[in-house]
Amino acid sequence: MEQNATYLAYIPLLPLTGALVVGLLHVATCQGKKLPEKLYGILGCIGPILSFILAVRVFFNLKGFPAEERFLTHKLFTWFSVGDLDVSMGFLADPLSSLMLLFVTLIGSLIHIYSIGYMAEDKNFGKFFAYMNLFLGSMLILVLGDGPIVMFVGWEGVGLCSYLLISYYSEDRDNVIAGNKAFIVNRIGDLGFVLGISFLFWGIGADGFDYLSLKTNAHNLTPALGITVCLLLFVGATGKSAQIPLYVWLPDAMAGPTPVSALIHAATMVTAGVYMVARFSFIYAHVPAAGTAVAWIGILTALLSAIFAMFQKDIKKILAYSTVSQLGYMFAGVGVAAYSAGIFHVFTHAFFKALLFLGAGSVIYALHHQQDIWKMGGLKEKMPITYKTMLIGALALAGCPPFSGFFSKDEILYSALASGHFGIWIVGVVVAGMTAYYTFRMIFVVFHGKPRDRQAYDHAHESPKIMTVPLIILAVGALFAGFLNLPGIFGGDLEVSAWLAPSLVEHHPHTSWFVELLAIVISIAAFAIGFRTAYRKFGQGADEPSYAGFKQFAYRKFFVDEIYHVVIVLPYQLVGKVISYFFEPYITDGPVKALTWLYKMAGLVFKFVQVGYVRVYAIYMVIGLSLMSLLLAQSLNL
Amino acid sequence: MTSTLLFFGFGLLSVLGALGLILFKHPMNGAMSFVVTLISLAGLYALLSAKLIFAIQLIVYAGAIMSLILFIIMFLNIQESDLPVETGRWFFLAGGIAVIAPIAILLLKAIKSLPGGDTVIVGGEFGGVKGVGLLLFKDWLLPFEIVSILLLVALVGAVVLAGKRGVNE
Amino acid sequence: MILNYLSLSIILFCLGILGVISRRNVFTVFMAIELMLNAANLAFVTLARLHESMDGHVLALMVMAVAAAEAALALAVVILLHKHKGKLDTNVFSLLKG
Repeated sequence: MEQNATYLAYIPLLPLTGALVVGLLHVATCQGKKLPEKLYGILGCIGPILSFILAVRVFFNLKGFPAEERFLTHKLFTWFSVGDLDVSMGFLADPLSSLMLLFVTLIGSLIHIYSIGYMAEDKNFGKFFAYMNLFLGSMLILVLGDGPIVMFVGWEGVGLCSYLLISYYSEDRDNVIAGNKAFIVNRIGDLGFVLGISFLFWGIGADGFDYLSLKTNAHNLTPALGITVCLLLFVGATGKSAQIPLYVWLPDAMAGPTPVSALIHAATMVTAGVYMVARFSFIYAHVPAAGTAVAWIGILTALLSAIFAMFQKDIKKILAYSTVSQLGYMFAGVGVAAYSAGIFHVFTHAFFKALLFLGAGSVIYALHHQQDIWKMGGLKEKMPITYKTMLIGALALAGCPPFSGFFSKDEILYSALASGHFGIWIVGVVVAGMTAYYTFRMIFVVFHGKPRDRQAYDHAHESPKIMTVPLIILAVGALFAGFLNLPGIFGGDLEVSAWLAPSLVEHHPHTSWFVELLAIVISIAAFAIGFRTAYRKFGQGADEPSYAGFKQFAYRKFFVDEIYHVVIVLPYQLVGKVISYFFEPYITDGPVKALTWLYKMAGLVFKFVQVGYVRVYAIYMVIGLSLMSLLLAQSLNL
Repeated sequence: MTSTLLFFGFGLLSVLGALGLILFKHPMNGAMSFVVTLISLAGLYALLSAKLIFAIQLIVYAGAIMSLILFIIMFLNIQESDLPVETGRWFFLAGGIAVIAPIAILLLKAIKSLPGGDTVIVGGEFGGVKGVGLLLFKDWLLPFEIVSILLLVALVGAVVLAGKRGVNE
Repeated sequence: MILNYLSLSIILFCLGILGVISRRNVFTVFMAIELMLNAANLAFVTLARLHESMDGHVLALMVMAVAAAEAALALAVVILLHKHKGKLDTNVFSLLKG
């Protein structure tokens, strides 16, 4: 059924090698004369581009097989083998992972190329590309892994790289704190993930702990164990993909360079949670209650972060909360068992969110690192390419037909409605309206109207080609990607869902044309209302509003970070202080000190034996000899 | 019969000499009684047909070593006042006897298991110069040579120890 | 008969040990050590007679050679000590005190 394909191993290996080479070069030369940035740029981009070419090859390879046999595997080496657990570093390329591979490598390559322009003149240019390549390699291990444990290797790797890249501008203490926050919150989620896969192993892991074996054994899972595994795995996803309650790291992660935000916190790493739920669809499909919980948490996160996004003034923070919100949509999709819809939204979101982030980066770069939207304005003449591409991205995000975001979001909402989750559908529609509102608020304030900061406006200029070409390519994707999965009502055939079917356990609900049409019309209506409200308020240029009451509360993100600090962080630190001041000196240090005191006392007692007179030592010898002869006489029975 | 008598005589003399050695205050007296012990031991060797050892004992031990010791004792011109005040020596003796008793008992018990034998004088080459010499130069050549090196080292050591130090005193 | 010789050797040996531990005079201690060596010599020769082999004699010879060497060096040390402290008491030299 599966075929062996050694070239699978090269897909993560190439970026990892790139990371190693660039990293070593950087370390070797960073103190003295620096290598030309072009060299780092070329070395840094070769890995991702070659991985993309291999990903395309994987896709066409799989296309050549009949649908049930679309698997390529390769076991690199046996990692460890303990009792029933036999884990090898292996790779599995099936329809799901090949789709993820395609957009991860494509968008990764584009962002690497963009970074050559964005990070120019940075003194740690080489370090940046080493970390980015390391990230891409880890992400590819995550996607290509053939079992939960290999996925976890990649999972941890991307967490590490996220930390490294968020704290990239490490001279500023706040950036490092943000990186720490990301890593620590992630770790809390990882605990859930590890517990989840442990329970999974306990339940059905005896016959092999890779996805294919688990899929065939999934029916052996007891309901109680099934729900436990699903919920624990989802806890891991809340950490990695920023859902309630562990989303707090993502807005702070905007402290990193913009290409990092685009790649890691928009297009790839944060979607790992969604990918994971889709991967384990063979368990989630059996436990609908867990799926409903996932969907509700997802859609509530979408609502909460949309509210936040409506009042933010930092352009990157708006996009960050937007990402959290869209991730909520994706989880709503996979929660209502519409796995292919959720993954399709991952696919389209990667394009338009990366586009929006890179565009924001272009704006920030042009205005010399200004990120406050109330200091921008009227940029559409000065930066035409950026404006046009960001407009396309915004239309896709807001869900305007015929852009890609409309089709993917609508598929999710329709699936929610069709499978009976009425509440989720209603909230989803409301959030869609909010999405349109905050997206166009951003566009109108930044690009339309009069410039608010004349000086910055005069210096602004369009970004160099190396930054605008990736924007254009992404815009093409954001525009046309939707047509890959057109539902029947528009004349399409749901090609992506069909492609993904062998990897997932999915049942597509069937409803009448009327319900489908109703869902589409209401989605478009939500977009229209949101767009109009934004146009009314900001289309003609507006001044920075002052927020009071609920708006101020929302601007301060409902004080969630502060609450976490008081409720969780401070008690934890207090416990630590108590332990170090009261517990440690007496309980752990006490016995050790007592032991040393005992030895010293014993030493003082025995000190009296050493008198210094040789005669006394001779007497000791004779006494010993006589004792020995007493013992010997007894034992020898002479 | 004669040999038993001689044995007891020599044995008694040696024990008395040893007692004198450990009980006399002045080392000179102790040395003289030790010489008595050595000579009676030589006699015992003769009774055991160890002709060479008998002679060597008299020449080397009683003759050379003891004269060396006596020479040094007399050289240091020990007066009554130089001698250490040994007040507690009777206690030490009593304690020593108590401590040594187990060792002695063990040893005595150990030798009981040995086969008894007769000490008739053995004739022939047993214990004579030729006999011992042949053994010394055939089977025991290596130890013999090493002992000679040992004596050389002792000689050098004695000179270094007691001789005049170099210019940087 | 052999047993008698061996018992005598043991008695002399024990008297030697007694001398070492109960006396403080340097010369007495040294001569008591020589007494112990002689007791050992007697045991060697006796057992050589028992087995009618002259290996015991050779060993006794070695012991005597060693005793001679040791006597020379020990007396040299005694002279040095006397020059240093002017006393013949073993208790005076207590530099080994811990």
